Amino acid sequence: MKPLNYAILKYFTKVKEACADDVINALKGEYGSFKALKKPAVIEAIMTAEANGLLEETRFDADSKGELRVYYRAHEEGAATINSYIPD
Amino acid sequence: MSEVSGSVNASAVAAKKKLSSQFFKKGVSVAILSGMCYGLYSAFLTLGMSSGIWGDWYGVNTAALSAFVITYMLGALGSAINDTISAIWCIGIAAFKGKLGDFFRTLKTKPGRVMMFAAIIGGPVASTAYVVALQMAGSIVIPITALCPAIGAILARILFKQKLNARMILGIIICFSATLMIGSTSLGGDAPAGLALGIVIAFIAAFGWGLEGCVAGYGTSMIDYEIGITIRQVTSGLSNLIILVPIFGIIAGGGFGLSTGLVVDAITSGPAMIWFIVSGFFAVFAYSLWYKGNSMCGAALGMACNGAYSFWGPFFCWIVLGVVVGQEGWALAPIAWAAAIVMVIGILIISMNPLDLFRKKEA
Repeated sequence: MKPLNYAILKYFTKVKEACADDVINALKGEYGSFKALKKPAVIEAIMTAEANGLLEETRFDADSKGELRVYYRAHEEGAATINSYIPD
Repeated sequence: MSEVSGSVNASAVAAKKKLSSQFFKKGVSVAILSGMCYGLYSAFLTLGMSSGIWGDWYGVNTAALSAFVITYMLGALGSAINDTISAIWCIGIAAFKGKLGDFFRTLKTKPGRVMMFAAIIGGPVASTAYVVALQMAGSIVIPITALCPAIGAILARILFKQKLNARMILGIIICFSATLMIGSTSLGGDAPAGLALGIVIAFIAAFGWGLEGCVAGYGTSMIDYEIGITIRQVTSGLSNLIILVPIFGIIAGGGFGLSTGLVVDAITSGPAMIWFIVSGFFAVFAYSLWYKGNSMCGAALGMACNGAYSFWGPFFCWIVLGVVVGQEGWALAPIAWAAAIVMVIGILIISMNPLDLFRKKEA
């Protein structure tokens, strides 16, 4: 089992793009008991990774409830950096 | 902002702008708060190191400690106890927040080891270099070590390709000038024999803190900041306590007996330890928010906001030691207040183009 933050970053290296809800849904099986697997904390972790060039924003929209959804992806260089620091 | 899909409605655009703005503001607030916590931690550490047994060591000296021990070893001992207590606080907070498992899992990974390396460089290495430089070259080293935000920004540009443009460099220079203004109040006419070497060693301290800020800031983009700080304080506290203090004991000619004796005397001194518990608590946030701020808004801006500790340090020493405890000699010089304003201007210039404030917003 990886630390939660690592799992969040690794998830982006395995999908084309994802938003915070996608990350939470994908990780809740293994990390469901983690207090930090909450939407605000996950959004902050993703935006911090974006600020450091690991991820980049692809698009955004509003979900059926009108809540903002921002999608991110790990570009080639970001994915390579994530994979070099956090192997499978 | 990057690509926007065609069907995005106006409320989503507004929400996205708000999210980005909130993230930036939180990063700056966190970095500024880290500097304030640094000031509080410095004030309570100074209070701890003048209370109980420390009052005797630095005063009457009934234990007959040598000048070497008083000059070098006690500083390292103070840092060791502070960081170790801070590590206990960190472990408690991590346990409360359910992050202790991730702390142990992170220790075994590459980013975890990088964080430990940053902790050793910024903890025992830079802190000891600072104390030694201060003793060898006098107060001239204070403005030299204040170069650490600039060094951090340059290293972040080289190592992590972070943004560093002419405007940001100007802001860093302004912040450095402000720190110089505050440092000038403690500058003496001292020019001791070891001046040149002392200045070189002071650069090691500045480089160490700069490297710690940018490396640990980048590390915090992968490691949760509360886990990052736990790694930092455990590494720094234990390496200070188990390696550095005994080395000083051996150099002082007292061997392990001297260091063990001093550690036991210090941790059994209740009137001092109560303040170390407080300083260790503030040290948790001084460093964790520093890392978090650097990771959220980049090393250049994060370290400049944190660098305001050169104002917050004397400010909280004045409040805690001067106003509350009633010790004399802690009043803040008027130039320090002026420097605080200059520093705010510097931070503003790093974070944004001030001309934007005067431009009309597009409809």
